[in-house]
Amino acid sequence: MSRVDTATGAAPAPDDGARPDFFSSLRLLLRQGQGTGPVLALSAVLATLAVALELVPVWAVWRAVSAWAAGVGVPWLRLAAITALAVIAGAALMGTALALSHLAAFRLIHALRLALARHLARLPMGWFQGRRSGGAKRLIVDEPERMELIIAHGLPEGVSALTTWAAVTIWLIAVDWRMALAAIVLTPVSFALVIAAMGRQAAMVGEYQRQSERMNGAIVEYLAGMPVIKIFNRTGAALSETARAVRDYAAVETGMGRSFLPMGAAFYTLVGANICVILPAGMLMMRAGWIDLPTLCFFVILGANYSQPLLKLFNLFHNMAHISMASTLIAEVLKTPAQPDTGARVALPDHAIAFEDVGFGYGAHEVLHSVSFTASAGGITALVGPSGSGKSTVASLIPRLYDPQAGRVTMGGVDLRDIGLDQLMEQVAFVFQQTFLFSGTIGENIRFGKHDATEAELHTAARAARAHDFIMALPNGYDTGLGEGGASLSGGERQRIAIARAILKDAPVIVLDEATAFADPDSEAAIQEALTELAQGRTLIMVAHRLHTIMGADRIVVMDRGRVAEMGRHDELVAQGGLYARLWADYTAARAIPLRRQEAAE
Amino acid sequence: MSDTRSDLDSLRRAWALAGPLRGRVARGVAFRFLQSMMLGMSFGAVVWVIAGLAQGRALTGVWIWQVTGLMALSLAGQLLFGWLSVRDSWMSSYEMAGDLRLRILDHLRRLPLGFHQARHRGDTVTVLTSDMQMLESFFSDGLPRIAQALGLPLAVFAVLMVQDWRVGLASVVSVALALPVFFGTSRHLSRLGIRRQDMQAEAGARMIEYVQGMAVIRAFNQVARGQESFRRAIDDFRDISVRMVVQLTAPMAVFGMVVMLGVPLVLWLAGARVEAGLMAPATAITALVLVLSMYRPLLALLGVMESVRMADASLVRMDRVLTAPPLPEAATEAPRGFDLRFDGVSFAYRPGETVLHDISFTVPERSMTAIVGPSGSGKSTILNLIPRFWDASSGRITIGGADVARIGEAVLSDLVTVVFQDVYLFNGSIRQNIAIGRPDAAQADIEQAARAAQAHDFIMALPEGYDTQVGEGGASLSGGERQRVAIARAILKDAPIVLLDEATAAIDPINERAIQTALARLVQGRTLIVVAHRLSTIQSADRILVLDKGRIVEQGRHEDLLARDGLYARLWSHRARAAGWRIGR
Repeated sequence: MSRVDTATGAAPAPDDGARPDFFSSLRLLLRQGQGTGPVLALSAVLATLAVALELVPVWAVWRAVSAWAAGVGVPWLRLAAITALAVIAGAALMGTALALSHLAAFRLIHALRLALARHLARLPMGWFQGRRSGGAKRLIVDEPERMELIIAHGLPEGVSALTTWAAVTIWLIAVDWRMALAAIVLTPVSFALVIAAMGRQAAMVGEYQRQSERMNGAIVEYLAGMPVIKIFNRTGAALSETARAVRDYAAVETGMGRSFLPMGAAFYTLVGANICVILPAGMLMMRAGWIDLPTLCFFVILGANYSQPLLKLFNLFHNMAHISMASTLIAEVLKTPAQPDTGARVALPDHAIAFEDVGFGYGAHEVLHSVSFTASAGGITALVGPSGSGKSTVASLIPRLYDPQAGRVTMGGVDLRDIGLDQLMEQVAFVFQQTFLFSGTIGENIRFGKHDATEAELHTAARAARAHDFIMALPNGYDTGLGEGGASLSGGERQRIAIARAILKDAPVIVLDEATAFADPDSEAAIQEALTELAQGRTLIMVAHRLHTIMGADRIVVMDRGRVAEMGRHDELVAQGGLYARLWADYTAARAIPLRRQEAAE
Repeated sequence: MSDTRSDLDSLRRAWALAGPLRGRVARGVAFRFLQSMMLGMSFGAVVWVIAGLAQGRALTGVWIWQVTGLMALSLAGQLLFGWLSVRDSWMSSYEMAGDLRLRILDHLRRLPLGFHQARHRGDTVTVLTSDMQMLESFFSDGLPRIAQALGLPLAVFAVLMVQDWRVGLASVVSVALALPVFFGTSRHLSRLGIRRQDMQAEAGARMIEYVQGMAVIRAFNQVARGQESFRRAIDDFRDISVRMVVQLTAPMAVFGMVVMLGVPLVLWLAGARVEAGLMAPATAITALVLVLSMYRPLLALLGVMESVRMADASLVRMDRVLTAPPLPEAATEAPRGFDLRFDGVSFAYRPGETVLHDISFTVPERSMTAIVGPSGSGKSTILNLIPRFWDASSGRITIGGADVARIGEAVLSDLVTVVFQDVYLFNGSIRQNIAIGRPDAAQADIEQAARAAQAHDFIMALPEGYDTQVGEGGASLSGGERQRVAIARAILKDAPIVLLDEATAAIDPINERAIQTALARLVQGRTLIVVAHRLSTIQSADRILVLDKGRIVEQGRHEDLLARDGLYARLWSHRARAAGWRIGR
């Protein structure tokens, strides 16, 4: 519901160097269709009519003034009545126009948001890599919101401002072209001034943006580091650094204001000062006999606010330039190709997973090089290695969170990319390192993969995941909400709900990405039991740091810097004396190091 | 925020915040008013000319010169006051935003750490950035606009009253009638606006959930269901937006309409009085010409209303920070020794939700105490009270006999080091990060600390060694490396009391071994309290506190507690079983 009109603005927020595409947001929104085209057209027509009716009081006053000046009688009652009617009709029309344009805007933005949400779901997961979820919120919630301004106000007000300006100009010229010149002469002067002022500012825009980013960064760091700052008693130093960024920002703001000021301030004055030229010029022309008193009155009344519609348009374009940057971004997201999906149902002989010479990278940075191994159907395969060796990346290729850039991953001998996504997802259950639960109820979360599951199935899955007991102990049991104000569960409890979700899904292939990493220690035993249940009779692929948990695996794949370094069973690998043997030695040593040796305490 | 303030109250609050800059702010507003009056002067000239001409006054060269001079004066005055006004308003608003930011930053560091942990960090950042910008633009733009909107109408009204008081009064009738609509609408708008903002926040939260849960949604093939809750949120948001428009367009249109109905009213009155011979046509001309320029600026107030309302929302959020009570500071007691005592300590994050009940224990100097217990039993809360992240609700915590609340921030900070589970490094070099507690430390000391923390070797392997930039939050280092840098900075700080929240997350064996070695080096010879998860840590403690639901239920050494066969024995067997588990069939 923001309004565009600013008679005097704050320093116009700076545009960046790139020439903005003023109409990109308009195009983006109108492409959403929703049958709003006619509504918006009607809104623009009504707004134009309303603005035309705003001229009726001017006309009536002019009629009355001319008549009195000429010494003839004034049909005042009729004029007053016409004016009153015009004012009422104008308000009604403008109100209707704005209501229509707002409704259309809300509908269009709603459609745009849904289209974005749908498209995001079809993008490869790689797109989300390195993007913060807050960024997606900005993209879908905040930025489209700003576009409301353009549709809801910009369109009707812009169109009507443009038509009024044209109509008034023609009217003025038609009445007397010489007076018309005098009436409008200040307008080009003032706009030339503001363009010059913005030009002077342009040089400082880069610095302004740098300082603004620096200040925001400093504030975020100040707050994020507060525990450390306090513990190390550095509040004074940290404050003074942040304070410097704040002061520098204020200084560059002030500098920008100063450079805009002389011409910018003159602009704001001149744009409303046409009357100062009209009156003296009118007196001269009257003395020359070019115009009469009613004509002078006409110009005084109509010419005084000549620049107003232009100012409105100017502000509108200024806003559109800002919003267009966001809409360009949104348009790009909508253009990003979706993840390829054959949609085919393929017959799979078994559920063995094979990596064949797989290469993969996030962006240009390759993290997997020619990875080959087979996870036999119904067997347990463990992925181990130092941090950054690519274990989790390997795991994430199986449910096609990413697609390999070289080589292929197969299930039952079929390339994953040839299996329809629907079918693939039915085959694979993935338990993530960091449990993600939705803000619905516990029951809804467990049913997430199979929402037609019966109550009995739900409880069986939760029991197998060692979650049933603690769920029943909650006041609302399975109906306990998990969102804001809902139950706060421990990491281990959340993880068990996630495991119940995977058990209920009943997929033949299970991928565990260090599933106990964030569990609280007291839940660990329960989670382990749950995992044992989950693994029954399925192809299991697990990423693990706690090496003792995978001593019984059928095959251990040891990763090092994106390559398979070794492969084999626990005993073989330890005997081999390679990387795994070293990891094992570190692992057992770390477990044995007491925090404090008894002799060190003395 | 349950109810809303009136526009006037918001103005008053904003005014109070302007502090020492009030003078300049007021000057900016006053100059804007003067600028408006100078414009009014040219309308005065208009009246003078048209009324004169209508009365048949001759159009002499002198008169034209006089009028031209008057107009030049008006224009010059407008330019001057316009410039002065913009200068004062803008410059003071920038300065005020800067000052206020500094004031809030300073206030933030005096707040208990708990304040920061209890709220979204993003909210505080918003207060300092976009909310402040909103307030700034209110001072630079909104406030002067009010002055401008009122200046010309007041001048016109004065002239009209002088010319014919009946017409003068008639001209304000419409304004008087429209004002209640204005204030009512403004109130209503702010109420609906807050609801709408909440819904927007809700839609935002749904969106974040949708994106964060994307991997799960995909893995469970539930795209349609995942979108459902987001769709509901944006549906609700659209509906309240529509309702807002429906409820507000009408009153806003009515406001504009009622104000503008002043034109026909004055026209009717003037016409009637001229016809009745009670008023000169020249006066009627004056009145009509002026009345048109009187109403237009008033309509601009609708735009200002929006700006006041937004500034008010920002003010409310700012006040939430500014009114949070800081930690009381008093350096009146000096600790003798480094033993630590909890004496009947209770604590509640929120009134009525006590999380620690009557906790008493003693940690002798240089001894090691392990805290164990089920999750949610209050283990970390005990650690948080010692460095005064929060203050105990009742009871006393003493170090060397001195109450921690009376030791003074600097001394307390010298006494206590905390090693967190989540490591935060500052954007800067590794050297700066290690030396954060002792900025003047020599390179040799820094290296020694890094060696002890098992960090020296990996640091030297980095292209720029100790001068390597770690990036925001330490992003360019791995988790294990970040942890070792954090241990190095704790070692360099060399505080006699160490509080350690042992990591629960699994890390690769190479890093885990290095970290354990580094921690063992850090805690050597110090008073140590550790929230313990590892069996070897618990076993080696001098004393174990077993916590359950905020109370100490058992305490003693490992063997004694095992023999007691209580909660501790149960926890221990759980963990021992977990430590021996392996997958297989």
